[in-house]
Amino acid sequence: MDNQERYANIIFLNAVLPLLKVIIEDDEKLTAKFSKLTGTLQISALCEEGKVGTHYEIEEDGIKVIKGVIESPTLELEFKSIELFNGFFKGTSKKLPKIKGIRHLKLLMASLGGLMKMANLLGLSTLPPEEKEKKLLVRLYFYLLSSGISQLNKVGHPEISKWVKKSPDRVYAWTVENDEEMSAYLRIKAGNSKASRGIYKRSKPFFTMRFDSTESALGILMEIDDMIESTIKGKLVMEGAPEFGAQLGEYMTVVGGFAK
Amino acid sequence: MAGLTYTVFDTTNLSTAEVYGKTLVELAKEHDDLVGLTADLAKSTKIGILAEHYPERFFNMGIAEQNLFGVAAGMATAGLTPFVSTFAVFTSMRALDQVHTDICYQNLNVKMIATHAGLSFGQAGSTHHCTEDIGIMRTMANLTVMVPADGTETAKAVHAAYHTDGPMYIRINRGFDQKLYESGDYEFEIGKAIELREGTDLTIIACGSCVYQAVEAAKILEATDGLKIRVLNMHTIKPLDNEAIMKAVHDTRRIITVEDHNIYGGLGSAVSEVIAEGGKACGFKRLGIPDTYSIIGLHEDLMNHYGIDTNGILDTVREIMGKDFEEDDDWEDEV
Repeated sequence: MDNQERYANIIFLNAVLPLLKVIIEDDEKLTAKFSKLTGTLQISALCEEGKVGTHYEIEEDGIKVIKGVIESPTLELEFKSIELFNGFFKGTSKKLPKIKGIRHLKLLMASLGGLMKMANLLGLSTLPPEEKEKKLLVRLYFYLLSSGISQLNKVGHPEISKWVKKSPDRVYAWTVENDEEMSAYLRIKAGNSKASRGIYKRSKPFFTMRFDSTESALGILMEIDDMIESTIKGKLVMEGAPEFGAQLGEYMTVVGGFAK
Repeated sequence: MAGLTYTVFDTTNLSTAEVYGKTLVELAKEHDDLVGLTADLAKSTKIGILAEHYPERFFNMGIAEQNLFGVAAGMATAGLTPFVSTFAVFTSMRALDQVHTDICYQNLNVKMIATHAGLSFGQAGSTHHCTEDIGIMRTMANLTVMVPADGTETAKAVHAAYHTDGPMYIRINRGFDQKLYESGDYEFEIGKAIELREGTDLTIIACGSCVYQAVEAAKILEATDGLKIRVLNMHTIKPLDNEAIMKAVHDTRRIITVEDHNIYGGLGSAVSEVIAEGGKACGFKRLGIPDTYSIIGLHEDLMNHYGIDTNGILDTVREIMGKDFEEDDDWEDEV
């Protein structure tokens, strides 16, 4: 497996798949479906070392996302290889995973419903019509980008890990004006990185990408609008030195490239 | 973390030097005695804006700083009010003999507006950083030393300098300073500190671009740590507002000074002299550049490196108050 596949895989496993929980919790119908279910859902791919994956513990009081695989999940979607796993999530392969535990039909249907919604949302090339969906999509992108950059650091992506290694304790944040819910941040310090959701309150973020509306945010996140033009029009305010904004923008693009 | 925060559009609007140039033109319109001088730095120091409007009242002395201040002294004796602009490093060091003997010793009405002070020249390098000037200039008898916090305050300081007789040293940055004041609708008096936030846990006394950082830190400390931090904008280093300092010692018992300057001889030293002579004990910490020549980099990176930005201040306040900066050191529990 080459490095590009490895980076794409870590993005899908640890930055994209955790978004399923956000999608389920945002959708009343999906929440209702999952509230009646318990068990573990696992999405995995076979590899030389055995298996990689992400699993979800579904309890009555909610869903917990856990990195890594467990021995006997209630339901498992298992791909034959990392390449097939990546290809499926990129939309370049139609090879379906092996479904283990198919008798748990309700869990399977609910899980596929959530995954389909995630694929539809992240695959959009134009803005969704509903305000609620726009907000959800902004949150998904913020979480995906912050986690994606952190994960690429942890897996040793050369440029990103070099940047993190050299960095003092700094927080980079993304937010939409007057809506704290649509916020995420990334803390980096001397080789360590950690993505979190919401507003960082312990100090002033070193750099903040602040959008004036959900539409402005999606314009950039979905690569519809030009970043410089958005900045000129005041749709995007970069709080911090432009050099750092350019650097962050570059790493956002790296993550976007793998997640597509 | 953190440093100066601005957008690309703010860089021109917030430049203290830009505001200085415009203010000088306003003053020149009303006062015929005002003249401007520089040593080949009309564009960089923004005194060139005066030259555009009043070319006959502007004098470029070439790259000859000693001559620049000598000529300004001569003009002052002839009844003119010279505003002299070059980099702080040249004003306070290269031309110090002329500043000392020709201007301060004679108590002449020369206004020295020194730009690119502290570490604001960033990537230009250590030879162009100026972290010694407050220490040097406050030992010049007769000289008033001011360090405005942003563009708005620079305008106020320049006005006050024109209307106050005697030599003045106003220290401003290269530009890109965060805007502290939304408008000029506040009282500015030479030698009187401005209390920007009330507090009884600790007082941060800051000057120049560090004032904004102090205010930001105080906001965060109140929101996250429940600390009430007083912030004093000490825009005049000489004469110093002794009364405000001793009141802070009495009211808050802990004082931190923050400056974009060597910790020796600058604001921190001046404040410590007042405290020592005041005879009341208090917790005290100076934040500034330690006894070293700065490394080279962007101004905000340098401020971060030397702990004189918002988060450096937070770190120090929390240390003094016995709190950790960041308790969470588990890097794996991310979502």
